[in-house]
This record gives sequence, C-alpha cells and structure tokens, in this order.
Amino acid sequence: MSGFMRGNVALMGKIFILAMVTAILSLLTEHAFVQKEYAIGSFILFAIIALNFTYLTKFSIPLKFFVPGILFFIAFVIAPIIFTLSMSTYHYQTGNILGKDESTAQVLALGAEPDAAGTTFDINIGKTTSGEDAILVSDIVNNKYFISTQTSRTEVPIDALTLNADKVATGAQGFTLLSADALSKSDAYSKINYKYMGKYYIAIEGQNVGAVFQQSLSYNAADKTIRNVVTGAIYKDNGRGNWAKVGAPDEMLTPGWRAPIWFENYTKLITDPKVRTPLIKVFIWTVIFAGMSVLSTFALGLLLALALNRKLRGRRIYRSILILPYAMPSVMSILIWAGMFDTEFGAINNILHTHIAWFSDANYARGAVLLVNLWLGFPYFYLICSGSLQAIPTELQEAAAIDGANPRQIFRKITLPLLLQILSPLLIASFAFNFNNFNLIYLLTGGGPRETLDGQIAGATDILISYTYQIAFGNNTQDFGLASAISVLIFVLVASISMYGLKKSKVLETFG
Amino acid sequence: MNSWVRENLWRHALAISICLFSLFPLYLVVLSSLSTGGSLHLTSFVPTEISFNNFKYLFSSPKIPYLHWVQNSLVISTTVAISSVVIGAASAFAFSRLKFKGKKFGIQLLLLVQMFPAILALSAVYVIMERVYKFAPSIGLGSQTGLILVYLGGSMGVNIWLLKGFVDSIPAELDEAAKIDGASAVQTYWLIFIPLASPVLAVVCLLSFIGTFNEFILARLFLVEMNGRTVAVGLQQFIGGQYSQNWGPFAAGSILASIPIVIIFLSLQKYIVNGLTAGSVKG
Repeated sequence: MSGFMRGNVALMGKIFILAMVTAILSLLTEHAFVQKEYAIGSFILFAIIALNFTYLTKFSIPLKFFVPGILFFIAFVIAPIIFTLSMSTYHYQTGNILGKDESTAQVLALGAEPDAAGTTFDINIGKTTSGEDAILVSDIVNNKYFISTQTSRTEVPIDALTLNADKVATGAQGFTLLSADALSKSDAYSKINYKYMGKYYIAIEGQNVGAVFQQSLSYNAADKTIRNVVTGAIYKDNGRGNWAKVGAPDEMLTPGWRAPIWFENYTKLITDPKVRTPLIKVFIWTVIFAGMSVLSTFALGLLLALALNRKLRGRRIYRSILILPYAMPSVMSILIWAGMFDTEFGAINNILHTHIAWFSDANYARGAVLLVNLWLGFPYFYLICSGSLQAIPTELQEAAAIDGANPRQIFRKITLPLLLQILSPLLIASFAFNFNNFNLIYLLTGGGPRETLDGQIAGATDILISYTYQIAFGNNTQDFGLASAISVLIFVLVASISMYGLKKSKVLETFG
Repeated sequence: MNSWVRENLWRHALAISICLFSLFPLYLVVLSSLSTGGSLHLTSFVPTEISFNNFKYLFSSPKIPYLHWVQNSLVISTTVAISSVVIGAASAFAFSRLKFKGKKFGIQLLLLVQMFPAILALSAVYVIMERVYKFAPSIGLGSQTGLILVYLGGSMGVNIWLLKGFVDSIPAELDEAAKIDGASAVQTYWLIFIPLASPVLAVVCLLSFIGTFNEFILARLFLVEMNGRTVAVGLQQFIGGQYSQNWGPFAAGSILASIPIVIIFLSLQKYIVNGLTAGSVKG
C-alpha cells in the first residue's frame, strides 16, 4: 500500500481528480459570473485556487487534510451565519424583499394611469420584419391603423392591411402575427410599453385589447426623488426601504426594498410591546420546556438505571425494549404520537374514554408535548446513567454501608452527587438540545394552539426556534430581519449555556 | 415477605410498566398497519384479523410513491454519511494530531459555530441556494444534489468536532512511533490512523446516516416534487394532518422505514452510546 501511495499512479490519480474538480468548479464560476452572482462566483474561484495551491505545492501538510472540510464549512455554515447577521440589520420582510434598483423599477412600472378618456384599441400581437415585438393597432373611430413598437410608431396605409367586417385589422404587410403557441410560451411582449403619442403609451390589457396609459411616476435622478406628474406629489427615500410621500410619511409606494436599519430589529425586541410580550412569553415556555424535559427524562432514566443496576432476570430484554423509543427515527415517532392525540379517533382519548381536544387547549397541548418528549428522551439518560453508575467506584458505597448508612442515604449523599458531577455536561447539552427541539414542536403541535384570527404568531407551545420559523416562513407577514435578530439572540443564549457547560467539564483546557 | 420480593419486585414492576409505556405507541402502529381499514379508530387493542392491505397500498397506489421516497432517503443519507466521514476524518486528524498555526483558534471557532442551530440559518441557506439555482439548477434549490451539499456542509462543523473527540481518544503513541520511523503525515494517516479509527468512523458514519434520515425541515423546503421527496417528508405530507383518513398506510410506511434504523441502532447501541457521550461533550 505504501508503494502505491508514493508511486506515480497515485500522483496521476491525484492530478486527474484535481483536474476534474477544477474543471467542474470553473464551469460553475463562469455561469455564476454570467448571472451576476459575484459573491458566489468569487467564492468558487477562491475554492479552485485554494484546492490547486494546497495539493500542487508543499506549502502546508495540515492544509491538505482540512481544505475540503474547511471549504464546505465556510460555504454552508459560516456564510449563512454571516448572511443571517447581516439580514438582522435590515428592514427585510414581505413587501421589502427586493433590491433598491429592482423595487424602484417596479414602482415606476406600476405608476401608470389610464388617459382621461380611458381609450382602448383593438390590437394584434406580433413582430416587425426586423423581429422586434410589436402590435398592430386599429383605431376604428378615427380610421387610423399603425404598428407600434417600444420605440417607434408607423402608420400603415389601408391598402397594406387585411381588415375584417368590423374594420379591425387582422394583418398587415411587414407584420407577422404571433401564433397562439408563441403567445402562451412567453409573456415578454405583454410587459412592453408600446409607443402612442407624447407621454402616452399603449399597454396590452387582454388578448386583443390595448389601452392607453401615461406614466404617472417619474424618477428624478438629480435630487433622487420620485414625482407623480399627474398629482404633483413628491416621494422621497425614507431611509427604511420605501418611497414615502413628502408631508405624509405613511403614504408609501409599493413594493419597497430591503434597507439597512442597523439595530432597529434588536431594539424592537426590547421596546416594541407587540414584539416583546410574545417573545418573553415564548422564552419563558422555552426555558420551562427545556428544563422540564431534561428533569423528567433524567429522573426516569436514572430511576430505571438504578432499578436495573444489578443481576435481574430478563434485564437484557428490558433493556432492548426500553431503548426502542430512542432507536426509532424520531420524525416517525412524533408523527405517530400526533395521531394518537387526535381528538376524534386518537388512541389516548379512546383509552381514557374522554373527548379532549389535546392540541386546542394550551395546558393540554403543553402536557402532551412534555409527555412525548419524555417518551423520546428517557432512554438516552437510561443508557448514560447505567454506564455511569458502573463507573462509580463501589468502595465509596461499601465504606458508607459499613459506617451504617442506609441505601437511601448512600444514594442521596454519595451516588447522586457523583453522578451529577459526571453527567452535568450532558445535562447541559441536553438542555441546549431541547432549547432548539424544532422537530418535536413543529411536527406535534405546530406551535399551537394560537389565535390566528387575532394575528397572533406565537402559539402556546411555540419555543423560540419554532416561533422564529413562524416569523420567517409563516402565513402572515414574513419578516426575515426580525427573525434573523431573534436567531442571533438564540445563538448567544445557547452558546453561553454550552460554553458554561464546557468550562465546567474543563474541555476548553485541553485545547492546543 | 421474603427478601427476593422485597429486593426485586419493585424493580420488575417499574421496568415492566415503563416497557409498556415504551411499547404502547409502537404496538399501536403495528396493529394499525395490519388492520383492514385505513382508519385511526381502533375497535379493539387485540388484533381480530390480520391483513396486509395497507402494505400493498404503499407499493401500488399512485397517491404515495413510497419506493421512490425510500430510495431518495437511502441515496441522500448514504451519500451524506460517507462523504461527511471521508472529509471530516481528514480534518479531525489534522486538528487532533498535527501542529499548525491558528489551530487553537480553528478549534474554538469550530466549537462555537457548531452551536449555531442549523435551523436558524435556514432562511439564509434558502436564499443562497435560490441564487445558485439561477446559474446551476442541478445543484440549486429543489435538487437532491443541492440538498446533499447543504447537509454535508451544514454538518461539517458538528462532524469534525465529533470526530475530533473520537480521534483524541485513540492513543497517539502509535502514530508518534511511526513519525519517529520517518513516516510522513500522509502515510501516518493512511497506514496507521485509518485502520485504527475505522470502527469509530463506521459509527460516526451510521450516526450521520440516522441524523440525515431524520432530517425534516430542510428536506421539506428543498424537495418539492412528489417523487423526489424523502420518506420523512413524504409521509408527513401524505398524512397532512388528516390522521383519520390516511392512518393505515402511514402506519405501514413508518414501520417499514423505521425497521432498518432500529436494527442498526440496536446492534450497535454500545458504540453509539459511547460516541454520544464522548463526542457531544468530552467527560
């Protein structure tokens, strides 16, 4: 093997793989730059350079080991975190999703008003001889016919036209009708403003109808305002991602864009009661939920471990059955439990002979969540505790017994403190895990019950992470800025808890 | 009351009652999957007649492309598990055994960042992959390859950290001896470290497999097409809150999907539990 590793075959293999990877990534970079995705394109370019440099030079041996890992880590862990951090300083929600240029373009496009008479024409959609999108307009009132493109308008004499009985043109020389198939394939032609007269243009209203519009909003690059030429109103960038009317800041043009508002999302968490009150409620429940889950699973696990911590008939069978809930894929178990709590047909109401709507009442729903989490989590602590109990030296317990301590005293004064000392990092890790136990809440109750009619986003069983998900991806306004700010807050909380746990377990001291 | 009863009765009583608690939902699901109707409502807790209609339904109904789902889950989970161990092991080896500048900073960054719950960066990952889709649809949002890349990248921090925990527990004397004999780092890695670590790598591979198999929310955001879904997403969408209607086939489907995972877990429980303790937090 060592000969193989050193030989020319290995070298050629290495170069071959490197060349393949480089080729694929180069192709991707090119595509990315063509689509103007500069950040992603630059990163892939960086990856190409890093890979080739690492494996073709002898610059650094450790680098050869972790370059692929680090590249993945940067792309899918560090980049999203940085992105989340930056999103949290933006006014970034439904209605303010686009970039500024894109949103201003849409505002201007939407700022059109029909002319005073509400003129409409019969039209045909097609192309000119030069292949430009065009419409053939029949102004039957004035007996005029013309072909309009985005930039020009050409009158067509009657003898160059094909008219139908209503005097509507159905064809003209130098004009090719678009087939129905071509019409259905693309809608680019419908977004064009076809030239009419002066500031007026024709927009396609229906399959054969065009209406006369005028551009009511115009952008003034000199003082960076938008002016409504019809009403004379002036709109200014309000610094929060919208064009707002001067003198009436609540009158804004839509859509807006994502705009930096620095720490406003964070101050909102503290000062805005509409955000703060549900957040505090959710936070309290999150702590209770995580705390109760750790306590209940640990207590039951420990009890079982103590009960089975000796030679007992059937111990192996017990053990196999007891860890089944842990061995099951948790997604499946949670969905199964959700079915069991069904009001009408669920097994739980069936056995209890009750008719409780488990997930419609806040307290029942919370109880159900804790019960299911106990089922899912106790085997873990049972396994851990049985292992740890055997690791506690028996001498201590024997010495205590000789000194006349009864079993209960031995457990309380010796076994439990030792056990807690060994397991405290795991208890903290378990707390941190449950603090973010998204799957359980999302799949079991969906965070509910919640009063959706009142516009409430926080449900009774929502924990911080499922609440954040609701804010970002829920059915109401999707507020990525606020959700990102809460994400950062959760991260700080969880990281502090975990760091505390690690400090206690002295893992940090072993670095280096 | 003799001493056996006093000593052991409560132990058996406790163990049996908790065993019943453990088994109850599972028994119920098995029972439902073997019942004739698809209903959630059970008339009795003792099976009166056994039918495999629900299982047949899984493999024949066009409403539920179960085989596709299973295949997707297996392909995605296997690819992620193997690739993440191959890439992660090399990084973990470097972090655990090699000396280089910035190592301490790297480890601390890794430790800190792996605490950032993946779900919190969900919207960011979504937006990034949406942009990737614009120039490379086959690895962007909506593709399985894209999902695999996200899983692979997203689990890299945790995996390197977990693997580092294992690697630290392998005695360093052997590779130090190899070094003294003149072996390069690459040789030490392939000839000493990999053979020593392969059982551990296998366990991490399986843990990663189970974790990916269980992942739900990313898969749901990514895989929109009916035939492209994983088992977890497919079954969740299939049941769609309509527990009373689709319960029977759902029960059958969840049992079939769970059996391999349960078998893997039970047969390797000793190693997996050791891994969980050592890797999550080193005691």
